[in-house]
Amino acid sequence: MIGVISYLVFFATVASILSIAVLGLNLQWGNTGLFNGGVVAFFGAGAYGTLILGGTPQAGQMGGFELPYLIALLGGMVISGIVAWVVGLLTLRLRHDYLAIATFGVAVAFETVMRNSDWLGGAQGIRGFERPLRDALGNGFSYNLAFLAFVLVVLIGIYLFLERLIASPFGRLLRAIREDETAARSLGKSPSRIRLTAFVAGSVIMGLAGGLYATFYAFISPQDVLPILTFQIWAMLIVGGAGNNKGAVMGTFLIWAAWTASGWALSRFAPMDVQLYTGSIQFVLIGLVIVGMLMWRPQGLFPEKLVVSQSAKDK
Amino acid sequence: MNGFKTSALALGLAAGFASLATDAAAQECTTKIGAVLPTSVDWGKPIAATAQYVVDIANETGGVAGCQIEMVLRDTQVDPKVGVDAAKALVDLDGVQLLLGAVSSGVSMPILTSVTVPAGVMQMSCCSSSTAFTVLSEDGKTDGLFYRTFATSGVQAAVGAMVAQEKGYGSVAVFYKNDDWGQDIGGLVADDLASLGIDVTASIAINDGQASYRAEVTEALKGNPDAIYMALYPKEGTQVVREWISLGGAQNMIAANALRSDEFRDNVGLQYLGNFTGTDTASPRTESADAFVAAYTAQFDGPPNGPGLANSYDATMIALLAMHAAGEGATGADIAAKVGAITDPDGTPVTADAEGFAKAKEVLDGGGTVSYQGATGNVQFDKNGDVSAPAVTWTFSENGIEEQKYISLTEVNDFMSSLN
Repeated sequence: MIGVISYLVFFATVASILSIAVLGLNLQWGNTGLFNGGVVAFFGAGAYGTLILGGTPQAGQMGGFELPYLIALLGGMVISGIVAWVVGLLTLRLRHDYLAIATFGVAVAFETVMRNSDWLGGAQGIRGFERPLRDALGNGFSYNLAFLAFVLVVLIGIYLFLERLIASPFGRLLRAIREDETAARSLGKSPSRIRLTAFVAGSVIMGLAGGLYATFYAFISPQDVLPILTFQIWAMLIVGGAGNNKGAVMGTFLIWAAWTASGWALSRFAPMDVQLYTGSIQFVLIGLVIVGMLMWRPQGLFPEKLVVSQSAKDK
Repeated sequence: MNGFKTSALALGLAAGFASLATDAAAQECTTKIGAVLPTSVDWGKPIAATAQYVVDIANETGGVAGCQIEMVLRDTQVDPKVGVDAAKALVDLDGVQLLLGAVSSGVSMPILTSVTVPAGVMQMSCCSSSTAFTVLSEDGKTDGLFYRTFATSGVQAAVGAMVAQEKGYGSVAVFYKNDDWGQDIGGLVADDLASLGIDVTASIAINDGQASYRAEVTEALKGNPDAIYMALYPKEGTQVVREWISLGGAQNMIAANALRSDEFRDNVGLQYLGNFTGTDTASPRTESADAFVAAYTAQFDGPPNGPGLANSYDATMIALLAMHAAGEGATGADIAAKVGAITDPDGTPVTADAEGFAKAKEVLDGGGTVSYQGATGNVQFDKNGDVSAPAVTWTFSENGIEEQKYISLTEVNDFMSSLN
């Protein structure tokens, strides 16, 4: 029984961390209509930033500044914010699919740079990070439980922040830009500045998720920032429901559960002679879930709630 | 309300997916071990099949510590998140004390740091070659729980340089796969060549899955090297060699063991591989290695020509014997502590087959130690869980792959220390 709880804690931690990244994407795509195809670049910038700032020195690598954990995490967020700001300035004039292609390129470039820069860990990645409070909490179950609590607090904080944000006038402005940029401009708003703000804010949230992810594994390598992660995070948002924060979180838990449980179930129930092929079967199953979802409920499990303005409601 | 229902449904589904655990009460005495291997990748399947084959051998001889072994196999998808989750599920839900895997160092490493070491589970990798594990162990972060049967890239790099020296090449261009393994070995071989006074005209990274490597090959041709060294996998290796030959490069080639595949030979064409020399860390001159090749060929209708197969075989064998020595209900640390009793050079020699497995169990039951003579030779681990291994050079022929020269452990060690 303790094993099941221990696994569920582990599962919930990973799913919660991914949820935070999905919430960041939801701010960009769901609320502002920015098609970010390079989620991993900002996720990775936060992860690398946190480990470089908070890790112990390693021969031949930059970093190992051993900053206090929360400052390292914050530093990771700042780094992904800076990356997002630069990328945003360069690409945000593009629309939809063009923006997606440009940001996807940024993500691939990010992974390639990390893979080839020995001073950033190269293909071997960055090690030597001491998980915070490890001495006090040990390395086992109690640590994972405490870390889950921390991640949940962060997740709830981000969730409440985003809920407030999209209910505010700024949130209406985001949706106005998403629906009709020209109309928004005609009302005296500055869409390009707001788009950049939303892009950077969403990316900082992804960077936070990356920082937590790297903390949890105490390790990050280019293999963690492959395009598959962008795909996974998008699938979570689409299934959950773009434009709805609750949907983003639910979609993450559901997709990640399907992703991991399909592997587990196949390893347990598939007959002996197809065990070797379960890896491939699992990909098919995951694909089916996503395709099925798109056919059955393309708006996602939790569609965006349409907000009607007060004055229109009275009529 | 509707939203609440749906969210309850979603949560329920998620919880249901994640916690369908703990049925399957064992009817008879069965011990589970875990395997986390990239079975969705073509070259990963045979590695997993080999591990399962060893488990079958062990079960034929009556199991391990009186129990049948069930290997629960999970796919990593070569994705660290997925691999770590699979490992965590095996440790927590199936309660394994022994985990085989993974292949990529980028997956094995987070499994080690966030699953097996915290849980005190022994991890035995067949195929992770990164020197990062050695450093981690020297820092005291592995708790002695990590072993691997894949020699660090140092041995192969040194032998590659040795071949270049023997052949009298004055200059060599290095192609390496752009991952942890390739960067490791590419860097090491360049250093080794330089210290032998051989000019390294270029060190070129080969990224996976490109349609063409013309730019990379042209770059290498510029230096007009006598030979090329390749730390590449068959798919990219085939393309690089094709373009290298078609652009007029010399047929002098040295390659690491990843190109040891019939597929590579057939796709390039034997006539272009006239002066090709491969290196490997296996020790196929020993009887036990021949026995492995024969047994494998009989089992799988073909010789073990993929990367990592002999290593996977030995990893599973040694781990299971250590498990037997540690006795029933042993923890990961107990099993890890017994590895030395399996690879004791002064122990009773045992072969790597069912007969040897049974004999080893007898000796271990009597409190003795054995010297496991495996598919990769007389395996010995150092204090970091790394293997030092003898080496061979090999080449392609009409009939497949032929060994050229056997370089004993002492020769390898002497040569390596002469480099520094």
